[in-house]
Amino acid sequence: MIKKSVQKSLLALAVGVASGSAVAADHGNSDVDVSIILEGLFYNELSSGTSSPEGFGDSGHDHDHDHGDEGHQHGFEEGFGIGHSELAIDAGLGALLDGRLLLGFDDSDVAVEEAWVKTRSLPAGFQLKFGKFLSDIGYANSRHNHSWDFADRPLVNQYLFGDHGLQDVGLQGTWQLPTENYALLGVELLQGQGNTFDAYAEQEDVLEEQDSGPRVVTAFMKYGPDLGADHAVQLGLSGGYANQYVGGYDKHFHGTEPHTTAQIGSSWFAGVDGVYKYSSGKAYGEGDLRITSEYFYVARDLAQYSGDYHEEDGDYHLEGAIKGDSYTEEQDGFYVEGVYGVLPRWQVGLRAEALGLINEKWGGGHDTELDSLDASYKYSGQITWRPVEPVFLRTQFNHKDFAGDDGSSNEVVLQLNVALGAHGAHNF
Amino acid sequence: MLRLFLFFIAFLPILNASAGEPVRVVVTTNSLGMLVNEIAQPLVEQRQLELKVLASPGRDVHYLDARPSFMAAVRRADLLIDTGAGLEEGWLPAITANAANPDINSGQPGRLSLAASLQLRPSITTTGPHAGHVHRHGNPHFNIDPLRMAKAARLVARRLGHFFPDQKALLIKRSYHLEQALKQTAEYLSEQLIPGQRFIAYHEDVDYLEAWLPVQNIGYLEPLPGLPPTSKHLRELVEKHQQQEPARVLYARFNPDQGARFLNERLGWPTYALPLEPETPDWNGYKELLQVWANAFEQKS
Ligand SMILES: [Zn+2]
Repeated sequence: MIKKSVQKSLLALAVGVASGSAVAADHGNSDVDVSIILEGLFYNELSSGTSSPEGFGDSGHDHDHDHGDEGHQHGFEEGFGIGHSELAIDAGLGALLDGRLLLGFDDSDVAVEEAWVKTRSLPAGFQLKFGKFLSDIGYANSRHNHSWDFADRPLVNQYLFGDHGLQDVGLQGTWQLPTENYALLGVELLQGQGNTFDAYAEQEDVLEEQDSGPRVVTAFMKYGPDLGADHAVQLGLSGGYANQYVGGYDKHFHGTEPHTTAQIGSSWFAGVDGVYKYSSGKAYGEGDLRITSEYFYVARDLAQYSGDYHEEDGDYHLEGAIKGDSYTEEQDGFYVEGVYGVLPRWQVGLRAEALGLINEKWGGGHDTELDSLDASYKYSGQITWRPVEPVFLRTQFNHKDFAGDDGSSNEVVLQLNVALGAHGAHNF
Repeated sequence: MLRLFLFFIAFLPILNASAGEPVRVVVTTNSLGMLVNEIAQPLVEQRQLELKVLASPGRDVHYLDARPSFMAAVRRADLLIDTGAGLEEGWLPAITANAANPDINSGQPGRLSLAASLQLRPSITTTGPHAGHVHRHGNPHFNIDPLRMAKAARLVARRLGHFFPDQKALLIKRSYHLEQALKQTAEYLSEQLIPGQRFIAYHEDVDYLEAWLPVQNIGYLEPLPGLPPTSKHLRELVEKHQQQEPARVLYARFNPDQGARFLNERLGWPTYALPLEPETPDWNGYKELLQVWANAFEQKS
């Protein structure tokens, strides 16, 4: 999973911080906290239908998460599964830095999901975070699945940003304003490792050079007024730009002549998000209500490229190739979900999602025609029981009405999630 | 892109806040707010000190959301006073790690975690087979003991003195008066009670009443701090206490009352739902609360 040496050194840095702080463990902030999140899943497709929403099929996935033979599993497999388990190590370096190393694993693979350090000593409301981290755009993106209210990632996050959301190596700078209401501005420079938003077709013989990084920049703001003890709101705006997007790579034959095509250009997104929480003050979450919603729009300014024949190696290359017509793909997605504490330790939740309300996608081949594809919808309901704080058992029902030929489908997911060890405080 | 980013970072500190502002003190609970308000009352009145309490009094301080408004308050705080010993660990670390305020990091003058300097009641989870639960650093609910609050008052006064060096003598003097008031009230209320009364508490919190009232804690409805009462545990309590002298059941208002009702039905013991924090962060609020707690027991006639 660790493809680049940058990542390796970042990991080494994070581990270094963790072990360094163990030595200095007599300082207040330098506890090392280890936590393990274990998950068990049972998934059953009650009736099958279109499995991937039209226009979002394989938009630049360079690793086979859903196919199961490389990396750890994120898509659900029929029957039992270990789900998404995590080992997290949080540590501080005195009052200077906080560090985190988070490994995601299933029964055969381990991946570094987070390895970062974050300052807690800069003046004037500034913080810097460096390493591999989950971007703070939107709301769900920066959260791990044990703190989601549903067993699966929102469609908009999965299909516009990837199976891990927007997760990358880079630098984040935030500034919290010295205002009475919470207001945060942030900027991220990310390497752009070829995830869904900044797809890159790694075809070394065809496209020799990826632009030098960082290839992705994002900006976000969050705002939260003080509404007293019962109510709380946080609103967010975010946007981002990837200066290199390479998708739709294809090598085919015209007669016996090999030929190479790809879509090359850039992409950008904008989104709004909001979360409202009502806190009843009763024990074990009874009467608490949480409503979350996000909308994201992505546009890709692309051109159709055809490969050039190179005498030296007798192959077709996209580098400096013939640029065809330009076009802009546009897609979006939205969800709204609500979770209510019906009884102490019992929650019920409903979620409605739409993907591709705008769904202008290149049709493939040599054409530069855009197809206006239909939107996909998904409706979910869940019941969660938390016998004790670190354990929950969830039953979720999904009705998927995806655009495509095979019609709608229904599925049920049972999820058991256990947090062991230090259970860190959760962000809002 | 990198250059643009660095420019952004370099440019923003110019917009920083100006001088002449009050000293901003943020506390997690009304009990701690009472200490600050009473000790620094003249400074509060002259608006040299601005106090903000995070938790609303009716809430379980173990389980709060790390709200945006908490983040904004801690971002601007000069001094953050928390209970410590894990009471606020479900939410406060998420605030302090992200509030971008180096002044309130542990070890700084701007951070006072009171439990670290107090002798806490041991918890059943401090040692032994249940070690590592929510009260692993000892029972953090010392605000229910006015005698420990008197000790906390002195710590608060000294720390406030760091921010108001010219007023240090005044602050120490006021904390001395507050200590006396706390001790005298505790003594007075204690004398009113018929000694030897026994009680079961829902959580390891009101067992601190044992520290200043002539009463005795004989168990908890929770099998372990933070674990909801199980029917097995409740049945065991009933069996254990069936043949003994009657006692009473005390629980916080935000706790569910089923466990207390169960004991009431089986053993006929009276039950009391008590507030754990004063309605207002001042001496009157806290004094009333001491009276409410004492009233959960039988008074001498
Ligand atoms: Zn407690």
